[in-house]
Amino acid sequence: MQRSLKTEFLSKKVTSPLVLPAGVMGMAFSGFNISIKHGAGIVTSKSLTLKPRKGHKGPVVAQFEGGILNSMGLCNPGIVDGLTEIDQFKKRSRIPVIVSVFATDLDDFLELTKFVNKSSGDFLELNLSCPNVYDEFGVPLAASKNEVFKIVNAVKSISEKPLIAKLSPNVYDIVPIVKAAESAGADALCMINTVGPGMMIDTKMCRPVLHNKFGGLSGPAIKPIALKLIYQAYSEVNIPIIGMGGVTYGEDAIQMLMAGASVIGVGTAVHYRGIEVFNKINNEMVKFMEENEYQNLKDIPKLEKLKILNCESKRNING
Amino acid sequence: MDKRLTLKIDKIVEETTNIKTFTFKHKLDAKPGQFIMLTDFEGGEKPFSISNCTKAKFSITVKKIGDFTTRLFNKCVGDYVSIRGAFGSSFFISKNKVLLVGGGYAVPTLYFLAKVLLKAGAHVTLINGARTKSEHIFADRFKKLHIDVINSTDDDSFGEKGTSVDVARKLLGLRPKLGNQKHDFDFIYASGPEMMMKALQDVIGEIDYEFLFERYMKCGIGICGGCTMDPLGVRLCVEGPVLSKKKVEQLTEFGKYHRDASGKRITF
Repeated sequence: MQRSLKTEFLSKKVTSPLVLPAGVMGMAFSGFNISIKHGAGIVTSKSLTLKPRKGHKGPVVAQFEGGILNSMGLCNPGIVDGLTEIDQFKKRSRIPVIVSVFATDLDDFLELTKFVNKSSGDFLELNLSCPNVYDEFGVPLAASKNEVFKIVNAVKSISEKPLIAKLSPNVYDIVPIVKAAESAGADALCMINTVGPGMMIDTKMCRPVLHNKFGGLSGPAIKPIALKLIYQAYSEVNIPIIGMGGVTYGEDAIQMLMAGASVIGVGTAVHYRGIEVFNKINNEMVKFMEENEYQNLKDIPKLEKLKILNCESKRNING
Repeated sequence: MDKRLTLKIDKIVEETTNIKTFTFKHKLDAKPGQFIMLTDFEGGEKPFSISNCTKAKFSITVKKIGDFTTRLFNKCVGDYVSIRGAFGSSFFISKNKVLLVGGGYAVPTLYFLAKVLLKAGAHVTLINGARTKSEHIFADRFKKLHIDVINSTDDDSFGEKGTSVDVARKLLGLRPKLGNQKHDFDFIYASGPEMMMKALQDVIGEIDYEFLFERYMKCGIGICGGCTMDPLGVRLCVEGPVLSKKKVEQLTEFGKYHRDASGKRITF
């Protein structure tokens, strides 16, 4: 009997648990088209802002042995044009779309939410964690449990779409933050955003490779960090998690599920294995299920949850 | 891992007042139609088609159009720039009778193509068009290849009068008459302004072709989605910049719009 990758995410049926994450291929509706053609089950827009942003000047990517640094700088056509692309995609597809939005204060997040409410997008994702706009906006909101709570709570009160909080790995303790997001009403978590940021240097010219100097790490090198944080979050919250960070092969996706993810983001691997990577990973997951006699995704076991520690009594370093 | 190469400019040739060819000593292993991403680490990294590539050297031919290229024009032999690539798809190499149609600063990539086609045994005819004589480039270099060349300028200042497409229309129009073997092309290649290629599509008839496209590129490695073309989602930096007839015919944005750095649609 054919093994099935069908699952549900926030009450939407999906044919594959693989998610095209924000920032990858999500600029135009055609980027969604080609991703679902090759097996993605859910797609996410670029993080949309109230006004269009051209992003950072190049170079915006730098490659290293374990992955890629990027500092795209939140380039996007703005919420109005971005939602037009999504509407155009949704006219011909039932694949769920996560509308990712980025802002630096609550008022703008609320304004963006009103636009998304009127759109054909299925879910609203708050990007609280872009690491590449530090010069402009300072420390990401996801570094503070109080900011996370405040924004998620206020947006939840007006959002007509299920709400996803995209969190940063770049904190000493993720636990208070995931708990803040859940208690504020987040319907799901998306983690992790890129790690670092880090930098690379061109030695012949003695210059930082990225024009922004620093950029977030993605790719195979960050997978162990992602697994650890997703496992910690899974142990603490009861909402589904979109797990991502370095997923390149079916084996990585299975590890994400075991760590507690409900669905799995695949981004940087689009570079390593082509846009066909979604179906490649789908097939590898099916093969794993056959070999281990799992019929459905829900048959794949998850790790035993971490023993819940009383985090609030520990010194709180996340503010 | 795709390596970044930081190279000294080996040679600079001024083609016109605002077009220069930069040559680098490095075995690039590129195919005709492919491009490199180039930066000087001063802000900006841009794609440039490869206009020549030998075992030891490669060249790009650049038109001065903005801040980035203006900075590049101020560089001297011996100055460093940093490149990634070669990236993207390349032209199909025919062994038969082919027509190359080029316009403006996009012509030089056809020089690299013509050399490879000749080596493969193809019979090459080229239409090399520009707006005016002072913008017409590579005429001498193509002459040395001993291929059939028709030079043209829109204002009749050099070669035949008219656009590359006007010349192509005439040339291809001769075909049906008396089964004119001379102009019976098996394959057409084009590199030029998008509206030139759009007009060319209408005069090509049933002949198979490949076009080289230009879109705003950021990452160059197929991740950011900035250069996807609607509705197929072909990434010009990976599945392009050379696209087959089959793909071109399905593009709804061809000749209509492109996208700027933010992804906003810009009408041609």
